[in-house]
Amino acid sequence: MHRSLLAHRLAPLIVGLLSVSLFLLIWEIAGSTETVRSELVSYPTQILSAFKRLILSGELAQNTLISLREFGEGFAAAIVIGIACGVAFALSRTIRYLFEPIFVALYTAPIIVFVPVLVVWFGIGTTSKSIAVFLSAFIPIAINTTTGIEEISESWVRALRAFGASRTQIIFKAMLPGAIPSIMAGIRLAIGRGIVVLIAGEMYVSMSGIGRLISIYSVAPDGVPEIFVLVAVVATFGYVCVLLFSLIESGLTPWRSHS
Amino acid sequence: MIFEGAYKRNERLLLGALGLLIFAVFWESVVRLGYLNPITASSPSRIAQAFASQWHNGAILKNSRIFLFELTVGFTLAFIVGVTLGIAMGVNRLVEYAADPFVWLIYASPTIAFYPLLMIWIGFGSATVITVTFLLTFVSIVVNTMAGVHAAEPQMIRVLKVFGGKPIDIILKVIIPASLPLMLAGVRIGLSRAFLGVILGEMFSSNAGFGYDIAYYAGQLQTATVFVSIIILIVIGTIINLLFTAVEARLFAWKAR
Repeated sequence: MHRSLLAHRLAPLIVGLLSVSLFLLIWEIAGSTETVRSELVSYPTQILSAFKRLILSGELAQNTLISLREFGEGFAAAIVIGIACGVAFALSRTIRYLFEPIFVALYTAPIIVFVPVLVVWFGIGTTSKSIAVFLSAFIPIAINTTTGIEEISESWVRALRAFGASRTQIIFKAMLPGAIPSIMAGIRLAIGRGIVVLIAGEMYVSMSGIGRLISIYSVAPDGVPEIFVLVAVVATFGYVCVLLFSLIESGLTPWRSHS
Repeated sequence: MIFEGAYKRNERLLLGALGLLIFAVFWESVVRLGYLNPITASSPSRIAQAFASQWHNGAILKNSRIFLFELTVGFTLAFIVGVTLGIAMGVNRLVEYAADPFVWLIYASPTIAFYPLLMIWIGFGSATVITVTFLLTFVSIVVNTMAGVHAAEPQMIRVLKVFGGKPIDIILKVIIPASLPLMLAGVRIGLSRAFLGVILGEMFSSNAGFGYDIAYYAGQLQTATVFVSIIILIVIGTIINLLFTAVEARLFAWKAR
């Protein structure tokens, strides 16, 4: 019984590791022996040395900081305005119906289609990217805030009202805390959308940032290993963001058990 | 009284239309009053003019055809591969453990960043657009199909086995119907990702389509023409969403709501 439990836990890990290492090994051999043209597919050790080169030249740190700033500005605004919109929609049906078509339109089209226009309006610098991140992130946050508030139990609000709570108190003591899990789900969705639009926007036109680096190395004659490094950096960033917000969520909702 | 009743029934629609109208009038007047540059800011009336000229020169129809072609091919391939792999991963542990890291890697990694690589490998044009659409779409279908298969009742499978059902019977009669709701949820996510994939592809690695036109006309500072493409994309997206909802309602008509 104990052994089978152990096997059950370890099997996915072992088989997964095996299949990944096999893949890496075949890639390394195929690339380094030029079975497949390495300038097209590169190979793991070459990617590692490209990683080292990018770090030592300071290129990676400098551009990552700029992307981080763009993302941070847009995303912080998206959280604040998204939650505010969500609360307004939950409180007033008239406001919600008035804005609904515009929200649906912005949610249906990938925000990347607005980036060229944003660049015309705000220039090729960091502002247009921050606004693009904001636009793509604030809608899922607003929608999830509204749903979250609608799903909290009516009795909480009624209990607060019975004890003479003001509207502000009801919003901050019952509605927002109750909606946190739903808001966090919206934020997680928004992270993915924000990163895609940020990188795509920087690739479209910009002066610096990870996306800019990607487009520089994509036209360089031997930039393939660098592109792999940059893809990994962006993926790691997304992963760290999601992790960070789940930590914040457990901190904000100590009454829920997190297993 | 009659009007009041009609208003109550259509409140959502009427208020939505009013919201759009206010937005359009505000935009138009801000530009007309000279607060914004009419060329870069564009305006509803300018967009209407641009729409007429784009319609007459055939760009709208041509771009819609390209868009729907790339979306359909990419999505269909993703659907076939996604459902097959999802069922294989759901039924067989070994396949699941071996493929899992790769599926999550593609799911989590910013596929957009692979564009340059795909352009180097496949070249410029529709093939790259379709490939990225496929990559973006199939993972969400795989992940959800697998979860759906896991949701199938083991007891039902055992019953079929006892009565001599072959593996194919089990897949067709128990596993697919059981995994349908989650599978469709995956398809819905996949559809919106396919939408993104086609537009990204057209913007970065193609010389035709709405995505290309958006980037091109923005470069020419013809903002009104850019908005024409954006609005048509929104309309197409909305139609696809409505169709999907209708299909879903059809498929689950037997389910209590």
